[in-house]
Amino acid sequence: MTAQTHKNALQGPLGWGLLVIAGVVLLVSLGYAISQIMAHGHTSFNTSSVLPWGQPIATYVFFALASSGLGLLAALPLVFGFKQYYPVAKRCIFLAFALLISGMSVLALELGHVFRMLWVIPMNLQVQSAMFWMGLFYALDLIFLLWKFSKLQGGHWDSKTAKQVGIASFIGVLLASGNLALIFGMMSMRPFWFDALMPVYFYITAITSAIAVLLFLTYLAYGFKRERMPSALQALLTGALPKLFATSIGLTLLFILVRAITGLYSNNPEISIVWTDYLFDSGVYIAALLIGLLLPFVVLLSKLRNGIGIQVLAALLVTFAIFAERFYFVVGGQVVPLFKGTWVPNLISYSPSATEWSLTVFGFSLCLVLYLLGEKFLHLGDMPSHIANKSAQPGTAEAAA
Amino acid sequence: MKLFQTLINRRRFLQSSAAVGASAGAVATGITGLKGFSPVSEARAQAPRGETTITKNVCAQCPARCGIDVYTTDGRVHAIYGTSDNPISNGKLCPKGHLGSYFLYDPDRFKGPMKRTNPNKGRDEDPGFVPISWEEALDTVAERLNDLRRRGESHRFSMFYGRGWGSSDAGIQYPFGELYGTPNAAIGHSSMCADGSKKAKQATDGNSSYSSYDYRNANYLLIIGASFLEAFRPYNNVMQMWGHMRTKSPKTRVTTVDVRMSPTMAASDRALYIKPGTDGAFALAIAHVILTEGLWDREFVGDFTNPNRQFVGGRRIPANSFNEKWVHGLADWWNEELLERTPEWAEEITGINAEDIRRTAIEFGSTRPAVALFERGATGHSNGTYNGMAIHSLNALVGSLFAEGGIGYQVAPSYGALPVEVSDYMDDYAKNGAWKDQPRIDMKGTDRWPMVGNMMQECAINHLNADPYTLDTAMFYYTNPIWSAPNPQVWEEALKNVFIIDTSPFPGETAMYADIVLPDCTYLERTQDVPTYPFEGWPMAELRTPAVEPIHDTKMYGDVIIELGKRIDGPMGDYYRELGSVENYIRHLAAGFADDPGDNGVDGFESWKEKGVWYKKPYKWRQIRGEFYEWDGQRYSRQMSAEEVQEHLLKTPSGKFEVRSGFLEEHAAYIEEELGIPRERAGLVQWVAPVYTGGDGDLHFITPKTPLHAEGRGANIPQQMMVHQPIVGGRNTVYLEVHPETAKARGINNGDRVRISSDIGSIEAECRFVASHRPDTLVLPFEYGHWAQGRWAKGRGPGNSSEITANISDPISGLASYYTGKVKLERA
Amino acid sequence: MAKWGMVIDLDKCTGCQACTTACSMENNTLPGETWQDVLYYNAGEYPSGQMKWLPRPCMQCENPSCVHVCPTRATYKDPDAGGIVFVDWNKCIGCKYCMIACPYGVRFYADEKPLIEPDIRDVFPSDNAQLWSPPYQNPEEDWRRGIGIQPKGVVSKCTFCYHKVKHAPEGIADLDEDNPDVKEYVPACVRTCAPKARYFGDLDNPESQVNQLIGDKHGVRLKDHTGNKPQVYYLGAGAGVPAFTPADKENNA
Ligand SMILES: Nc1nc2c(c(=O)[nH]1)N[C@H]1C(S)=C(S)[C@@H](COP(=O)(O)OP(=O)(O)OC[C@H]3O[C@@H](n4cnc5c(=O)[nH]c(N)nc54)[C@H](O)[C@@H]3O)O[C@H]1N2
Ligand SMILES: Nc1nc2c(c(=O)[nH]1)N[C@H]1C(S)=C(S)[C@@H](COP(=O)(O)OP(=O)(O)OC[C@H]3O[C@@H](n4cnc5c(=O)[nH]c(N)nc54)[C@H](O)[C@@H]3O)O[C@H]1N2
Ligand code: SF4
Ligand code: SF4
Ligand code: SF4
Ligand code: SF4
Ligand code: SF4
Ligand SMILES: [Mo]
Repeated sequence: MTAQTHKNALQGPLGWGLLVIAGVVLLVSLGYAISQIMAHGHTSFNTSSVLPWGQPIATYVFFALASSGLGLLAALPLVFGFKQYYPVAKRCIFLAFALLISGMSVLALELGHVFRMLWVIPMNLQVQSAMFWMGLFYALDLIFLLWKFSKLQGGHWDSKTAKQVGIASFIGVLLASGNLALIFGMMSMRPFWFDALMPVYFYITAITSAIAVLLFLTYLAYGFKRERMPSALQALLTGALPKLFATSIGLTLLFILVRAITGLYSNNPEISIVWTDYLFDSGVYIAALLIGLLLPFVVLLSKLRNGIGIQVLAALLVTFAIFAERFYFVVGGQVVPLFKGTWVPNLISYSPSATEWSLTVFGFSLCLVLYLLGEKFLHLGDMPSHIANKSAQPGTAEAAA
Repeated sequence: MKLFQTLINRRRFLQSSAAVGASAGAVATGITGLKGFSPVSEARAQAPRGETTITKNVCAQCPARCGIDVYTTDGRVHAIYGTSDNPISNGKLCPKGHLGSYFLYDPDRFKGPMKRTNPNKGRDEDPGFVPISWEEALDTVAERLNDLRRRGESHRFSMFYGRGWGSSDAGIQYPFGELYGTPNAAIGHSSMCADGSKKAKQATDGNSSYSSYDYRNANYLLIIGASFLEAFRPYNNVMQMWGHMRTKSPKTRVTTVDVRMSPTMAASDRALYIKPGTDGAFALAIAHVILTEGLWDREFVGDFTNPNRQFVGGRRIPANSFNEKWVHGLADWWNEELLERTPEWAEEITGINAEDIRRTAIEFGSTRPAVALFERGATGHSNGTYNGMAIHSLNALVGSLFAEGGIGYQVAPSYGALPVEVSDYMDDYAKNGAWKDQPRIDMKGTDRWPMVGNMMQECAINHLNADPYTLDTAMFYYTNPIWSAPNPQVWEEALKNVFIIDTSPFPGETAMYADIVLPDCTYLERTQDVPTYPFEGWPMAELRTPAVEPIHDTKMYGDVIIELGKRIDGPMGDYYRELGSVENYIRHLAAGFADDPGDNGVDGFESWKEKGVWYKKPYKWRQIRGEFYEWDGQRYSRQMSAEEVQEHLLKTPSGKFEVRSGFLEEHAAYIEEELGIPRERAGLVQWVAPVYTGGDGDLHFITPKTPLHAEGRGANIPQQMMVHQPIVGGRNTVYLEVHPETAKARGINNGDRVRISSDIGSIEAECRFVASHRPDTLVLPFEYGHWAQGRWAKGRGPGNSSEITANISDPISGLASYYTGKVKLERA
Repeated sequence: MAKWGMVIDLDKCTGCQACTTACSMENNTLPGETWQDVLYYNAGEYPSGQMKWLPRPCMQCENPSCVHVCPTRATYKDPDAGGIVFVDWNKCIGCKYCMIACPYGVRFYADEKPLIEPDIRDVFPSDNAQLWSPPYQNPEEDWRRGIGIQPKGVVSKCTFCYHKVKHAPEGIADLDEDNPDVKEYVPACVRTCAPKARYFGDLDNPESQVNQLIGDKHGVRLKDHTGNKPQVYYLGAGAGVPAFTPADKENNA
C-alpha cells in the first residue's frame, strides 16, 4: 500500500504562487507565438530554406530526450529492481509525460501542418523514414507513460501488468529516443551528425538532462529543504543519484570530447569547421561545456556532492548546458552550406527570433505547469510502502548520509 | 494563336490526359477517402483556364532587341520566351527577358497622367502628384509650348531621349523639332552610352556606328573592354554564339582584356588584366608584333613593293616602299608611331607581360578569321577614341573588315515613306524663326564639341550657367540623367527651375522632378517599330504588338507626341492630324515591305505583326581576299569598284581604312588644343595617355553592368535583385568588390562599410573581397543607389556611383569618361 | 515510360542565370526561392584568379534521400512521370526533414522570412489558400505534384517542369527546344539557355542525345558519393565542387 506522503511544499501556497506565475508565462508565450504564427506564418521564425531546423526543433529534442531520460531512470527501480530509486519513480514517470507533452506541443507549432500529420502519417506508413518511427515510438511512449502512471497512481507498484507495462515502456523509450537519434545520425549528407553511435550519445545525454531536471524539481517540491523529504528520498539524494549524475555528466563530456576530437581531426570541413568556427567560436557553447558540464562534474566528484545548494546549482547548470548542447547540435549540423559559393560565403548564420524564443519559453512553462499540477494533485512523491516504511522518519540530510 | 489547344490537339490530348489521370490515381497510394481529412480548399488540381494567346514583341530591357513570345491567358501575361524564328533570340532569352511581366505588373507604376502640386523640387520633396485627365495634361503642355513659340523662345524647349527604339518613338522627336522650331528636339544619351566606339570607327573606316559581327565563322576573338558575357550587344545572341563558337570545329579561341575578373575573363582561354585606360597601348603593341612578325593580311592591307622587306622594330621604312591596298597611311603609321610600340614598351604602360602580348599577337595574327572587339571599357576614357581606333586597326591588319567571320555594319530596313512630308507643314517660324540661330543646349557641333553626336551630360551645367541659354521646358523619354549622368548633383540643382515632363511608366528620379507626368505604356502594352541594332548586318526590323490593353491609363509615347503636335498652332497641327496615330505611322513603314518581302514572307503590317520581324539575309557585301563583292541573289559574285566600296563600306575620305584619319585631320587644331597632340599627328592611330579624373585618389573605380542590370529599371525587380551580383554573392544589394590586400592596407575587413570618395563627392558601400581583381581597381556593379524608382529600389544598396564620377568627356567622341575615375577608399 | 534526365555542359554555360529567372517566372517562385540556382566560386588571386559556376536544379535522384526520410510520403518519386520527384502539397506537413536530407540544397520552405523587403507576398496578397497571388501567375496548377503556387507550410522544389514535360509524345528520345513540335514541352530552364548548355531527354533511351553527350563527354553526377544517383549530369571542367572554407579565412590566407 502506498505510504503516507510527506509535506510537499508545492501543495501549499508556494505551489499556487508558482502555478499562477507559470500559468501566466505559459499563456503569454503561447499567445504571442500563436498570434505571430497566425499573422505571419513561419516567416516569424528566423529559420530559412538553407537552415530549416532551428531552436524550436532543438527545444523539442531537449524535451523529448529529457523525457526519455526520465523514462530510463524510472526503469531503474521499476524494471531493473534498483530499489533505491523508488522514491523518484512516480515523479519520473509523470515528469517524462509532462516533458514529452511539452516537447510535442512545441514541435506541433513548428510544423507546417500539424493536424494534417495526424492522418497522413498513419495513412501513408512510410516505414523508410526514421521520423516515422520516432513519431510512432514517442506516441507509444506517451501511451505507456500514461498507462504506467495510472498503475502507480492506483498503487500497483509491482503487479504483473505494471511490470509488463514498465518493460514495454522501457523498450519504447529506447526505440523512441534511438530513432530520434537516427533522424540525425543517419544523415550522411550532414557529416556533423552522421554517426552510428548517435543513439548512445542521445541515451547518455538524455539521462544527464533527466537527472538535472528531476533533481531541481524534486528539491522545488520540498521547498529546497531536505529535511522535509522522506528518508528514502534523502538517502537517494545523498547516495546513488548524485553519483549517477556525476557519472552521466562525465560520460556526456567524454562523448562530446570524442566527437570533438574526431571532428577536429577530420579534414572534412563539413565537420571540422563546425567545431572550429561554430561551436568553439561561441562563448555560449564553451560556457555550456566548461561551466555547465565540466564544473558540475568536478564538483560532484568531490565530497561537496551532497550539498543541497551544490546539487540544485549543478542541476540548473546542466539543464542549461544540455539545452545549449541541443541547440548547437541541431544548428551545427546545418551551418556549413551544402555548397561553398559566393551566395553563402560564410557559415549560415542563425539566431532564434522572438517567436522561436517564445516557443521555448512556452515549452518550459507548460512543463512547469503540468508538473506543478502533478505535485498538487497526484502525489508524485509516492513510493511503495515497503520502501517508505523501511526508512526512518524525516531526519536531517547529514543523518541520512 | 490558340497555342495550347493547337499543341495539345495535335496529337497528345487524349493520350496525355489519360496518362495523367492514371498516374494521379497511382499516387494517391490506393487509399480512398483521403480527401475527407484534408480541408477541401487546399486540395487543388488544375483549375479551368482560358485560352492562351501568344503575341510577338521585342524585349525592352537592353538594346539587344530580342524577339519575344508573350503568353497571355485570361488577360494576364504569365510567361515570356524567346521567339523561335526570330534571328536574334532564336527561342532563347537572357536572364532579364523572362522578368518582363514584372515591368507590366510593377506595383509602383504610374497609373495615369499627373501634375505636380508641390512647387519645390529636390530629393526629399514629395512632388505631391495629383491625377489629371489626358486632355488636361496634353492641353497644359501644348499651351506652354505654344506660348514659348509665340515668344520666340521655342529653342528653350528640349526633348531628351535615351533608349529609343525606332522611328515611331524617339525618331518622332526630330520632325517635331523642325516643325516646332527647336534645335533641342532630340538630344540622345549616346554620349553617356557608347559613342566612343562609333567615333573610333567613323575615324578609321568612316562608319559612325557599332559593328555587326559574323561570330558564327570567327576563329579568334580578342575582346578588349567589352563585357561580352554580361552586356555586349546583342547579349542574348552573343551568348548563343558563344555556345556555338566554343563547341564548333575549330573551336574559337578567346583572349579577353579587362580590368577585373568577370564571367568573360573567367570563360576565356586567356585573361589579361590591364591598367584602366591603357588599351590603346596594348593594341598598338599587338599591331607592332603583327607587322614585325609579318602576320598582316597582305591581300587586304597591301605589301612591300619589295617582298624581301620587313618591318623591323625601331626602324623606319621608306615612304613609298609599301603598296597600300585597303589601308591608308600604313607607312606613316609605322614610321611615326608603331615602330617604337613594342610589347616591352606596352608592358610598362598596361601592366600586361610583354610575353603575353606577343603570344596574343601571334595567335591573333595567325588565326583567320579573327575579330578584335571593344566597347565602353576601352573607350570610356579621355583617350577613348584613340584607344578604339588602335583596337579597330587590328581588324584591318588581319583583313576581317567585311570578311566572312569578320566585322561589318548594319543595313537599314526597307521602310515605306510616311504619308506626310515635314517640309510641307513648316510655317515661316519653323523655316526662318529666331531659333535657327541658336546652338543646341549641349553645344554639339559648335567649337566646343565639334565632333560629337550628342552631349547630354553637358545640358545641366549649360543651363545653370545660362550658356548658351537656359531651358524653359524639358521632356524626357526613356532617360534618367538626374541619376545616371556623371555628376548628377548638378542635374539635381539645374532641373529645379525647369518645367519637366517625364514620360516614364515608372517613378524614376527624373520623374520626381516632373511638373507633368505623361506615362508611357510598358513594352508589353504597345505597338512600336524596332529596327535592329547592329547585329549581323543584313536588314531586320521587329515590331512590338501589345499583349494586353494598357492596364493603366497610359499612352504610348509616340501617340503622346502626335497628340501634342495636333495641339500646336499653325500647320504643324495638320501634320500630326494627317499622321493620325502611331499605328498609322507604322502601317506606312510596313508598306515598304510589299516591294521587298522578308525571308519569312513578311510583306506588310499584318504579317509583320504575326511574325514580329521582317528580315532579309544575307549581308549585301563581302570582302574576299582583298576584293569586295556584292551579293547577286546567288553568291557574292559582282566585284565592286573602289567608288562603290567608298560609298557603301569604307566611307572615309580616302575610301580605305585609315590608320591616318582624314576625319580627325579635319579637326586637327581642335585636337591639338584639347589633347595636346601636334596637329600634324592628329590623324594617326596612336597612343595617348589617359587623364584620370576625380582628384588625387589612388584607386581606379569601375562600375560595369551585370547580366541582370535591366538598364534603368533593374533596381526595382525583386526577382532580379535576389540574384543580382553572383560574383560576390550580392543578394538584394551589391557590394564593392575589392582586392583583400587593398582593403587590409586600409584596415578594412571583408563586409565592412566603406567610403569611396573622389573630388566631387563620396558614397558608401559594403565591401566584399575579390582576390582575383586588380589590387589597384575597385569594382562596383552599376545598379543601385536610387532615391526614387519604386519601393524596392529606393534607398537600397550602396550610393550612386555617378555621384563620384566627374563630368569629363573624351573631347573627340564626347563619351563621358565613366571608367577613368580615381578614388580613395576608407572605412566608413 | 521515359526516365527524364538533364545534362548541363559547363564548358558552354556562361553563368548568365537565365535558367534561374526562367524557372522563377514559369513556376512563380518567390524572389530567392531559386529552384534553379547558379552557384559561383572564386578562387586564386590576381593575376591568375579563377571563377567558376554551376547551375543547380533538383537532381531528381534515382535514389532520392528526400523521399526516404519523408514521414508522410508527401515527397515521392513518380516512375510514371519519368522518375521526377514531386512534393504533394496536400500531404506535406512541413516537417522539413527532406530539406535536411537532400544533399543538394534544392528544396525550399517558402513560408520563411522574406528574403527581400518589402515582402512581395504582401504586395500581391493571396486571395485563396496559396502563399501569394502575383498577377502573372502561371495558370498551370497541380498541388499533388507541387505545381502552382504553394500554400503555407509545405516544401517546394523543381518539378522538372512536369506541367510541360507531361505533354511530351510517348517514346520521344529528347525534348529539344529547337524542335518546334516539342518546344512547349521543354523545361523552362533548358528551353531558354542561350549557349545551349542544357539538354533534356530520356536516360533510358541509349539513342538519346543526353546519353550521347554523357557518353562522349564523360558526364559526371554531382556529389556522387552520396549515392543519390542524380538524373542530372554535368559535362566539362568545373563540376567539381570546391570544399567549403569561410570566405574570410580564405582571404586571410
Ligand atoms: N545586362 C545588360 N546589358 C546591356 C545593358 C544593360 O543595361 N544591361 N545596356 C546596354 C548598353 S546601353 C550598352 S552601351 C552596352 C555596353 O556594353 P559594354 O561596354 O560591354 O559594358 P560595360 O559594362 O559598360 O563595360 C565593359 C567592360 O569594360 C571593363 N573596363 C572598364 N574599364 C576598362 C579599361 O580601361 N580597359 C578595359 N580593357 N576594360 C575596362 C569593365 O570591367 C567591363 O567589363 O551594354 C548593353 N547591354
Ligand atoms: N556607372 C555607370 N554609369 C553608367 C553606365 C555604366 O555602365 N556604369 N552605363 C551608361 C550607359 S551605357 C547608358 S546607355 C546610360 C543609360 O542612362 P539613361 O539614359 O539615364 O537610361 P536609363 O538609366 O536606362 O533610364 C531609363 C529611364 O527610362 C525609364 N523607362 C523604363 N521603361 C520605360 C518605358 O517603357 N517608357 C518610357 N518612356 N520610359 C521608360 C526608366 O524609368 C528610367 O527612368 O547610363 C550610363 N551610366
Ligand atoms: S539580351 Fe536580354 S534584356 Fe536584352 S533584349 Fe535580349 S532578353 Fe531582353
Ligand atoms: S541559362 Fe544556360 S548558360 Fe545561363 S547559367 Fe543557366 S545553364 Fe548556364
Ligand atoms: S536533389 Fe534533393 S530534392 Fe532532388 S531528388 Fe535528390 S534528394 Fe530529392
Ligand atoms: S516537409 Fe513535407 S515533403 Fe518534406 S519530409 Fe516533411 S512531409 Fe515530407
Ligand atoms: S526543370 Fe523546370 S522546375 Fe526544374 S529548374 Fe528547370 S525550369 Fe525550374
Ligand atoms: Mo549604353
